[in-house]
Amino acid sequence: MPEPENLQQQNVADAYLVAVRQQIRWKKAQAPVLRELENHITDQKNAFLSQGLDEETATARAVAEMGDPVTAGQQLDRNHRPQPDWQLLVLTAVLLLLGLFFQFLMGPDLYDGREVFFRQLLWAGLSVLAMLAAYFLDFTIMAKYPKLFFGALSVLTAVYYLGAGHSYFRMGTIYLLMFFPTAFAGLVYGMRNQGYKGLMLCGAALLIPVWFAWLLPRITVLLLLGVSFLVILTAALVKGWFNVRKPIALFLIYITTITAVLAIPLGLIPAGVYAERSLEVILNPELIQVMINPALDPSGFGYMGTLLRQHLLHSRFIGQGLPLGDYSGALLPAANTDFVLTYLTYHCGWLVMLAVLALFFAFMVRAFLLCRRQKSVLGFLVSLAVILTLAVQCLTYILANFGILLFAPLSLPLLSYGGRGLLTNMFLIGFLLSVFRTGNLVKDETVPAAVKISRFIEYENGRVIINLKTHTS
Amino acid sequence: MSVDKSLLTGSTTMLILKLLESEDMYGYQMIEELNRKSNNVFELKAGTLYPLLHSLEQKELLTSYEETVEKARVRKYYSITPKGRKRLEEKREEWQEYTAAVNQVLGGASFARA
Repeated sequence: MPEPENLQQQNVADAYLVAVRQQIRWKKAQAPVLRELENHITDQKNAFLSQGLDEETATARAVAEMGDPVTAGQQLDRNHRPQPDWQLLVLTAVLLLLGLFFQFLMGPDLYDGREVFFRQLLWAGLSVLAMLAAYFLDFTIMAKYPKLFFGALSVLTAVYYLGAGHSYFRMGTIYLLMFFPTAFAGLVYGMRNQGYKGLMLCGAALLIPVWFAWLLPRITVLLLLGVSFLVILTAALVKGWFNVRKPIALFLIYITTITAVLAIPLGLIPAGVYAERSLEVILNPELIQVMINPALDPSGFGYMGTLLRQHLLHSRFIGQGLPLGDYSGALLPAANTDFVLTYLTYHCGWLVMLAVLALFFAFMVRAFLLCRRQKSVLGFLVSLAVILTLAVQCLTYILANFGILLFAPLSLPLLSYGGRGLLTNMFLIGFLLSVFRTGNLVKDETVPAAVKISRFIEYENGRVIINLKTHTS
Repeated sequence: MSVDKSLLTGSTTMLILKLLESEDMYGYQMIEELNRKSNNVFELKAGTLYPLLHSLEQKELLTSYEETVEKARVRKYYSITPKGRKRLEEKREEWQEYTAAVNQVLGGASFARA
């Protein structure tokens, strides 16, 4: 086939595709759509070729068969626009404003309440900017440099921790640690078909944030990391991401994660500096009992839990609660930070608390639905990671507000006082919504057929499978 | 045989869902199949088909997946969802009601001779 003729045929098809592309305004949507159309032209051309037409005529007719590129492009443009999830955007705005309103409401009960409120207002402004930045960020960069992200976050965490000096400032490390599940999701995504080696790398990566959580020490962060890592890895394994035998791999990750989380206090990994207090809390069964049931030691370790429960016991359905009796005059310490829900219940009634919980519940359910609908494993894992980060915070916070103080609350996303927590959560929510906005378009990189680790005879779901071919695609 | 194309537009969704009821297909295959099954009456253009497929996918009546075929070409297959099957059933009933009514107006079985 002479060169110029080939080129000319290519031009006819290209001209069609260019005309379609010009109509599709969302740049990200163009490539996958055009590839599908190009494939169609090729199929049509091959059909004409097999009917005996020559190359040039076949191409020209195949393109003519496609119809008008402008009309098609306009319709495709209508189909392919970013899809902001308005439900979640509205819920985020409502929760953020509600949080500010509650902080304003609590102001008079706090030592420097008004100042605290204005500080939170300032942080809210900053966090909206952070959220918007994350919202318009292309989350697929996570797939391009997963190790870089995880590594950079680890270094940043280490620098922050070591540079903070005093243990009070060190606590700020928890906000960096809250990004780890999301970074981890990217890392897991990058380990496609890496087998047990990939799994081991993920396990090793887990040790970094876990180690810092122990150094702080914050058991709640540990729980957050442990739970989200396990869920993310389980989800990836179930999707066959590592290309390993699922039951064995699942068994391995549960054993290793639990060991990693417990190994440091057991002295297997010399953390060296972790505070003894955390060890006492974790390993002392009596103290754990008090944390779950504060009535066992109401004036000692159980005081806080008892105080919280007294507040709830004296709350009414609507309006200010009844006088607290023995505990009257005892203010909830750090109510605006750690006990917003208990405070609200006592001062405004159960109805308000239930309404707030319903909002969070709606947020989580909607987010989870959209997460499950993600077509790409990348979108699925990243959104799952953010949801888990938010959910564990909510759950531990709610437990604490009911007087179960086993896990000290981190924050109630968007509602509780604390600028850095707000900033972190708003950024994560922005990232989550970015996944939902553009996730429809994201396709996982198709990798060349991997050699499956298989045996000649497999047993699965009550069936015996005999693999006559050892290479499956 | 050529047919007024406006008759087609409303029912294309139903025809596509019907095609996918029995097996997953890619776009080109659908056009070929439709052409064959309708004795060349329905000549659907790719420029009409793909926007429709993409909108049906967004409405979750279809899902798609990619499969690598010869020479690393990636083909996008469409597959009907339970929601899509339900919609097909609704559309089919609508259609039958409609055609029955048209036939009745045209005068029963003898309308073809009128």
